[in-house]
Amino acid sequence: MAKESGPVERRTRAQIWGKSVMLGLILFWCLFPFLWLIMTSLKIGDRALNSPNLFQGPFGIQNYVAVFDQDFHLNLRNSLAVAGMTTILCVIVGSLAAYALARLPLKRKMLLLGGVLSVSLFPPVALVPPLYEAWRALGLLNTWEGLYIPYTSFTLPLTIFILTTFFAAIPKELEESAKVDGATPFQAFWRIIFPLAAPGVFAAAIIIFVQAWNEFLLASTFAPRNAEVAQTVPVAIAAFTGAVEFQRPIGTITAACVVVTIPMIIMALIFQRRIVAGLTAGAVKG
Amino acid sequence: MTEVSEETSTSPAPAPGRSRGRRRGSGLSEVALARVFVTPAILLMALVALFPVVYAAVLSMQDYTRRTHQGFAGFDNYVQALGDGRFWDSLVFTFVFTVTSVAFEFVIGLGFALLMNQAFRGRGITRAAILVPWVIPTVIAAQMWFFMFNVTPGFINTVFGLGNFNWLGQGGWAAFAVVFADVWKTSPFVALLLLAGLQTIPGELYESARVDGASMFQRFWLVTLPLLKPAILVALLFRTVEALRVYDLPQVMTGGAFGTESLSILVQQYVVQTPDPGYGAALSTLTFILVLGVGMIFVKMLGKELVLGGEQ
Repeated sequence: MAKESGPVERRTRAQIWGKSVMLGLILFWCLFPFLWLIMTSLKIGDRALNSPNLFQGPFGIQNYVAVFDQDFHLNLRNSLAVAGMTTILCVIVGSLAAYALARLPLKRKMLLLGGVLSVSLFPPVALVPPLYEAWRALGLLNTWEGLYIPYTSFTLPLTIFILTTFFAAIPKELEESAKVDGATPFQAFWRIIFPLAAPGVFAAAIIIFVQAWNEFLLASTFAPRNAEVAQTVPVAIAAFTGAVEFQRPIGTITAACVVVTIPMIIMALIFQRRIVAGLTAGAVKG
Repeated sequence: MTEVSEETSTSPAPAPGRSRGRRRGSGLSEVALARVFVTPAILLMALVALFPVVYAAVLSMQDYTRRTHQGFAGFDNYVQALGDGRFWDSLVFTFVFTVTSVAFEFVIGLGFALLMNQAFRGRGITRAAILVPWVIPTVIAAQMWFFMFNVTPGFINTVFGLGNFNWLGQGGWAAFAVVFADVWKTSPFVALLLLAGLQTIPGELYESARVDGASMFQRFWLVTLPLLKPAILVALLFRTVEALRVYDLPQVMTGGAFGTESLSILVQQYVVQTPDPGYGAALSTLTFILVLGVGMIFVKMLGKELVLGGEQ
């Protein structure tokens, strides 16, 4: 595990091989379970599904048909709506706050950042009993609002940390020259800085979306049933029941998992640079 | 928090004095704009994060039979919780889960990060692949590992020739399976954070350490680790706080059976399955104090660096 020290260093063939093998190990770690998932989801019939052999057939798409017979498209719709609304709200509210924190004169900035940090340390379960009572009284159980409102406030700290980093990286001169040209502070933000921060905002948006899409605790408490109303994808996947009670329908579940995972993996691959930049900005700075 | 929200939620009056806050042309001054900009975020966080915590403290002092309010209970719910074996069991599981999963994730994540930092071929692919476990919903990871550990189809048992070993149906091993699934899902994420830290260490430092005759191990111990310390602490902070909240994995893999009931699962039980808002709120308040306390210890260790980082 020698530290690389520079491009001048000579590397032996054995070292290159060794490192490639190690990288292969990382790839195996990350991707193999997913391969297992896909293979299992394509198996048909009890004999194939209960076989540990990955290549035990017969194969087919029956499991996928079964998934959508169970209203899974409605779960997808709910998750899209909830995660989408969370993303929109978080980006708007978060970028305003982040800009103020990164650039504008604000008293007690440290106190404010400390407050944001402590919200990011909150255990969501602390909100479950009080919010459940509040939502019950307000009629927000089993609604999209009942989910995306708490998601937004939970994801705001991360959004603010990520965006503060991105806003702070934009050269100050740009705003100053805008102001010399007679722009108000708001115009400087809206016309000059916000468009320049678009890559950062986009990175933040993806991360927010993924987190809201994956959330399970609040979703399973506030909207545990009824795909027609607000049950989200993770709740549905956790709740799939088979024909035989107490036996989880492995085919349907794995097929549903693949349906959800493939678009997310494609998204992660396309935007990997942005996501990595956003994640590290949010954590290393936050 | 309250002080700030008072200060910042005042109507956008132009701030007196300060030269940067003066009006130029039309529109809000910078000071006023700053206040207007932070107000929605503060309000939202206060309303849905701060208010419920206060409300939970109030609820935890009330006596309920199912959902019917019976009167004021004082600290009875807390006394009940502290004398409840189930509470201590879930506390122990949560701590064991946190310590073991974070420790393994850190070691494996650091290994991955060191490898990726010096790899010259296949780095792009690896970095993309490392995002896959991160992007997969935890519930899906939980279902996946449930089936892999389960007796049927028995994939893991077959690979390791273990026959019909019942991982998920006995104390100890069930917890192991849950920790394993978490380590699988989160190590790559830790690697990503540490890799970002590694890439800020200038290569010349290693060069001069090498010239001075430092061995591979010395370079790692005396150069890499000290310089990586901030990134390590931040990664540990976020992982520890997240691990203490664990819910999805044990809930889906074991339903909290066989000694895998986490604090979050326990609290959730008293909200929906066996509703008792008072007792549930007492448990959630205890969890809140615990998690925030551990978080604060980390923040103290990191010092101002953590918060200041966002400003500069």
